[in-house]
Amino acid sequence: MSLDVQLALLLWGTLVGLDLVSVPQMMIARPLVAATVAGLILGDVETGLRLGVLFELFQLDILPVGAVRYPEYGPASVAAVSAGHLLVGPISLGVGAVVGLFVGMVGGMAIHAMRRRTARAIQRSAPALEAGDTEALIRVHVGGIVRDGARAALVTASGLALAWAARIVLPGALTPRGAGVLAAAATGAGIAAGTAGALRLVGYGPNLRWFAVGLTGGAIAAWFR
Amino acid sequence: MKRRFGTALLRLFTLQGSWNYERMIGVGTGVAEEPLLRDLPGGPGGPAYRSAVARGAQFFNAHPYLAGLAVGAAARAEHDGAPGDQIERLRTALCGPLGSVGDRLVWAGWLPLTAGLAVAGVALGLGSAAVVAFLVVYNLGHVALRWWALRQGWQHGLKVVVALQAPWLQRAVALAGPGMALGAGLSLPLAAVWLAGAFEPWARVALAACAGVGLLALRVLPRQVSGLRLGLGLVAVALVAGWVWR
Repeated sequence: MSLDVQLALLLWGTLVGLDLVSVPQMMIARPLVAATVAGLILGDVETGLRLGVLFELFQLDILPVGAVRYPEYGPASVAAVSAGHLLVGPISLGVGAVVGLFVGMVGGMAIHAMRRRTARAIQRSAPALEAGDTEALIRVHVGGIVRDGARAALVTASGLALAWAARIVLPGALTPRGAGVLAAAATGAGIAAGTAGALRLVGYGPNLRWFAVGLTGGAIAAWFR
Repeated sequence: MKRRFGTALLRLFTLQGSWNYERMIGVGTGVAEEPLLRDLPGGPGGPAYRSAVARGAQFFNAHPYLAGLAVGAAARAEHDGAPGDQIERLRTALCGPLGSVGDRLVWAGWLPLTAGLAVAGVALGLGSAAVVAFLVVYNLGHVALRWWALRQGWQHGLKVVVALQAPWLQRAVALAGPGMALGAGLSLPLAAVWLAGAFEPWARVALAACAGVGLLALRVLPRQVSGLRLGLGLVAVALVAGWVWR
């Protein structure tokens, strides 16, 4: 993989990481979008779509309300596609999932650490903020965005490094059977996470009927496809 | 004023840039409100402006797409000469409703609905067109909601609660739940079958077993098991099993 492509992935992962919370929340951080564009950059849209759908299922398990802490699957999806692209068959999903899940966890921890640093920066500027100092207000706010951008870049860079290592080690260490087990486990976990997340959103009220209608429709469409 | 309104709207897109555990989106709210305060008596730097900027950056939390209601309402109240403590009470009172309505409308409605339809579209063979359609459709709703919120807040000021009773909003919140349930339900079997398409028959059985056991664990032990932990745990076991089973 050329340096240009790596830099493009790093830039894309950074934008994706910024989009999750800071700027502009237009959902390029959704795994389906992040992974598909990463696939486009790598010239392997199919792997991007497959890993995007897989991590979209994991994303369904997350409801980002209040101060809840959650994994970050945007840059993780970029790293996952970097790990799984051009690998043939289920191993592509398996290797991508290993990298993506780990980077998702690291990304979530990095967000928590960054928020604590931002809180400290605000504490330091509290007297100026209480006095209505606009410069301090803008400085603190822009500082938070820059901090998040640096965090997203670091997470993406770590993810791409891990993806590079995983592409070297895992395909050689696993037989086709082992690759199948890995892909089945990752996909099974994704389906379980997506279903549990959907059920939590749906609840036991009247929406459950609509969920059942959707499931039936999806199953019929899948059957005829 | 139009230009400052536009600047405030643009700044709303960075609202959560300084999100933290103490003031939450308070600083971002203050940044978004600031352009609307420049016309206060005394101009930028005057006592009214500085007090309003300080109030705007206090603790605040709401759904980011609807926070514009509070930003616009607080700015309008400052222009109307409302007492500072009344404006602070308004901001505090808006946290709950804006969070609740926004979460139900967007995070638990519009977003999973459109994302679910995109996943279904990909699984049905639409490819990246489904992803592009998701981005366009989702953001039409997103941007319109941010713009509407800021405009309504600025229009109503202290009486901004009226905006939350708008019939279209009530209807949208009521439809968001069933829409989300339908979209999520539709996407799950399609995604499962599409992802398992390249698997050997035995691997599909393993997939079904992992999904069943995982779902049970997530439902029975929701505090201990999350999607991420389940995924990491299962791939770790699979890596060992795959390495041993040669």
